[in-house]
Amino acid sequence: MANAAKRFEVIPGQPRPQIAFSGVTLRLGGKTIIENLSLGVRPGEFLCVVGASGCGKTTALRLAAGLYQPTSGKVDFDGQPMLHPRREIAIVFQDYGKALLPWRTAAGNVSLALEAGGMPAAERPARIEELLRTVGLPGHAGKYPAEMSGGMQQRLQIARCLAQEPKTLLMDEPFGALDAMTRQGLQDEVLALVAASGATVIFVTHDLDEAIYLGDRVIGLLPHPGRIGIELAVNLPRPRDQLSTREHPEFLRLRRQLFDFIKATEQ
Amino acid sequence: MNRIATIWLWRAASFAVAASFIALWQLIANLKLVSPVFLPGPDRAWASLMRGFSNGDLWSKLAGTLEHMAYGWLAASIAGIAIGAIIGSSRIMRTYVAPSLEFLRPLPVSAIIPVAIAMLGLTQAMALFVIAFGAIWPIMLATIHGFAAVEPRLYEVARSLQMSRLAVILKIALPSASPDILAGMRLSLTVALILSVVCEILAGLDGLGHWVLLSARAFRSADLFAGVILLGVTGYVTSVAMSMAEHRLLAWQASQR
Repeated sequence: MANAAKRFEVIPGQPRPQIAFSGVTLRLGGKTIIENLSLGVRPGEFLCVVGASGCGKTTALRLAAGLYQPTSGKVDFDGQPMLHPRREIAIVFQDYGKALLPWRTAAGNVSLALEAGGMPAAERPARIEELLRTVGLPGHAGKYPAEMSGGMQQRLQIARCLAQEPKTLLMDEPFGALDAMTRQGLQDEVLALVAASGATVIFVTHDLDEAIYLGDRVIGLLPHPGRIGIELAVNLPRPRDQLSTREHPEFLRLRRQLFDFIKATEQ
Repeated sequence: MNRIATIWLWRAASFAVAASFIALWQLIANLKLVSPVFLPGPDRAWASLMRGFSNGDLWSKLAGTLEHMAYGWLAASIAGIAIGAIIGSSRIMRTYVAPSLEFLRPLPVSAIIPVAIAMLGLTQAMALFVIAFGAIWPIMLATIHGFAAVEPRLYEVARSLQMSRLAVILKIALPSASPDILAGMRLSLTVALILSVVCEILAGLDGLGHWVLLSARAFRSADLFAGVILLGVTGYVTSVAMSMAEHRLLAWQASQR
């Protein structure tokens, strides 16, 4: 635990973490889901969280979102305690089908975030069009979510999150339900979007390759209760490339290390 | 055979059934199997209907019934949605209030009519109260159900967008519950029509119910049947109009199926 505390310490000269977990423990219904988690996420960092199912990675994300409050310890955002969810933190949920409003068109769904942000009605259409173009959905503004494919719906959810102009983007296995080709395309698009906006990202996934491919840093959680088991810095050149990055010796080394870790936790 | 031809065949068949019922009715009336004092033929009922419309009698009665129905139904809708929203959006309210509702709901509305008459007299206010009381249940219960069934994920989206409580109700809960609410409103429409007629009969308020009652007492069987037919048509037309409104308002649902 001393080790964990050290990881969180603010080192002089280093930027203050945008999101900081300090000694966070969460108990729900008598069960300890997360125990003494300390973690700092630098502004602009792309942090990936992996782990066996039930290790509390989604719960950690919900704590970062302010949707849960820790039982003990604290979560800070920009140095302020996180007492409730906030607009600067956007969440991309895995179940896009449930997170979109089925009675609103694509444009209407994006508009929801702009309305919440208080943008005047006259300025919205131009911004909506721009956002839909950014996520590769131009010309689909009038479609209802049910008329769109899974990949398109997830793009739409991302567009709505971008409409929040978030400082932090929290992504909970966003591509888990998509097929491999769609997933690879979206991985690259998210990298490009994040690079353009400079947002900090916490990305939860069970796909180890995806974690290494996307992240600046990968954290592996141990289950029962959830705590950090491994932390890997990913020093792969950017922009990443689906072929050359995945063939990079460093990628393969990290991949082996992460697979060994997960295998060990499952025993 | 293609589908459109099948649909038209079914329509033609149901039309033929309806036509043969009317023919049978005419036959029974012509053969005087039932005394003409009690049973007019469709010809006489139709003639009475036309006469009532041309001299304006039936128009005013129809307007009276529609007015009772509309006011009662609208009052029930507004109150039912508001109360249902309050109860449905809170788990605590659902736990504590729902059992009381389950006690009140199966109470026959006819049982509260004497109470309403005792308190409000034979007035329009009594009719409005009785109609609204009877019609509120399907709407309120549907609204409670609709509000309780809102996808929890959408509330999380709302929280992360820091939407106000009012915005959450108007932009998330209400549209999400709208299929349930509209279904409840359609059920209530029929209840409102039935209770309008009952109140008109009991309180002598101007409307088709009163017309039917007076015609029966005066043995004007043709007028009586004209009134009954008009009530049937009213029920049918309002229900079709409601279905069309539902279809338009819930166009987004069509893409989900």
